[in-house]
Amino acid sequence: MTTSIWEVPGSPAARFWNDGHADFPVYDMHGHMGSHNGIFMARREPESMAAHLRRAGVRHLVFSHHHVLFGAMRNAEVVEICRRYPDLYRMYVGIVPAFPDNIREDLAQFDRWAPYAVGLKCLADYYKLPLTDPAWEYALKFADERALPVLFHTWGNSKCNGGEVMMQLVRKYRRLKFFIGHSLYGEWEMAERIVKESDGNVWLELTAIPGEYRRIEKLVAAVGSDRLLYGTDLPWFDEYQAIGGVLSAEISADDMLNILYRNAESILGKEW
Amino acid sequence: MRDIFFFDADCQIGSGPAIGIRPGAAELLADMDRFGIDRALVRHGNCGLLGAEAANRELAEMLETAATDRLRGVWAILPDQCPELPQGDAFFAAMKRYNIRALTLLPNDHLFVPCRLSLGRIMDAARERKIPVLFRADGNDWRPVYDFVREFPRNLIVIHERWGKWGHDRQLRPLLENFENVRFSIGGYMVPEGLRDLAALYGAERLLYGSGYPLYDQGSGMLQLKQSGLDAAEIALVAGKNLTKMLDEVQL
Repeated sequence: MTTSIWEVPGSPAARFWNDGHADFPVYDMHGHMGSHNGIFMARREPESMAAHLRRAGVRHLVFSHHHVLFGAMRNAEVVEICRRYPDLYRMYVGIVPAFPDNIREDLAQFDRWAPYAVGLKCLADYYKLPLTDPAWEYALKFADERALPVLFHTWGNSKCNGGEVMMQLVRKYRRLKFFIGHSLYGEWEMAERIVKESDGNVWLELTAIPGEYRRIEKLVAAVGSDRLLYGTDLPWFDEYQAIGGVLSAEISADDMLNILYRNAESILGKEW
Repeated sequence: MRDIFFFDADCQIGSGPAIGIRPGAAELLADMDRFGIDRALVRHGNCGLLGAEAANRELAEMLETAATDRLRGVWAILPDQCPELPQGDAFFAAMKRYNIRALTLLPNDHLFVPCRLSLGRIMDAARERKIPVLFRADGNDWRPVYDFVREFPRNLIVIHERWGKWGHDRQLRPLLENFENVRFSIGGYMVPEGLRDLAALYGAERLLYGSGYPLYDQGSGMLQLKQSGLDAAEIALVAGKNLTKMLDEVQL
């Protein structure tokens, strides 16, 4: 048997295999927290998630709390969670169009929530409310004016956050930093078009993709590894499964590092 | 791997009109080398459309052509009353000849009801011969899995997940708790540190490393297992020892 990827001395794969972490940070740009209606998540609370993240060498998880997105919690409460883990957690301010007063109130506090709040999160599919609906506009304009990251849940061919909708948004908001959650899963050619037709303000986020046979290779070939961001949906998916998916791809070590941390640092800096 | 013996319980080879060009045995073996996987249990990727009779035959041919002792095959079964497959001892003799060591069933694709009425004779023979039977919750419909396991509690049944990516503990754990002969192949089970929880609750001997190849690569699940928090002995069980033992006990 030939030498496996885990046995190549000094490789990122060998480091994770042997030590459980590498000598570079990992930034998980797509997380959640809290219980979920359809899934038992044993590690869903701040402390148990933190233990998992630290084992894998994740420096920051940027998350939006399930209970904010599902209407039982305010973003200000999430800031307090982040304050208890200042070295680890960062947050997306969850935008829930059903509660427009909350959006205005929360965004008015956005600057005071630094360094924890780094952007916004939009979950249009779950609300059956297309991102082109005026109900999203206040928040998206806010992000565009400040060139903030917005993590969009996207999915291929969705009427709410599929390719056509995302293309409209990318053409409209030229400063906002688009984090295309799940990379428009399934609508791969449209994802590539959106990146290429943008002003360099679009990144494809990988949650649910690492581990899929040859998918990361195709995305790197299509848009370049400098346009990809690592994410897991934690507490949905295991960090090692997802990191393992990146390390298993037939891409260069530089590509792997771009995905796991360099791109996040190029957007948000080395200290954030 | 030099330090851990891996036996992948969940692989498919073979192409088809609905699934397109998929890896064959040669490509699988190359991927196994790349990740350090010693052996694999393989099904026919086009069995659903092609049907059990033709897919079983084609899988046997693929394994024969590959001429390797690293691959073991899985054949699909059909209702006892329709003699489309070799019957009785002839079926098991053919399994032995073609290096087939496990069975599976695709009732949604092959249009039958998976129960004692339809599969009693073949399942009883599988139990006597200690042949594992692979089954999955097709389309995330777990009711047939529950019914099947309840119907054949003394058979060795390996549940392999791979429907979507959402964690299925609510569906899976009741089966592991109530049926000691149920095993779980972990391909597509991405729950954070969930492997450690399952092992603590039901025993590491109930879990099998399976990749879900070629829908999934083989490496992501390997790292997930290696860094699951299980101790080295438990990792070795899940990685390959459990499946090796299971298949060594098969009597053909």
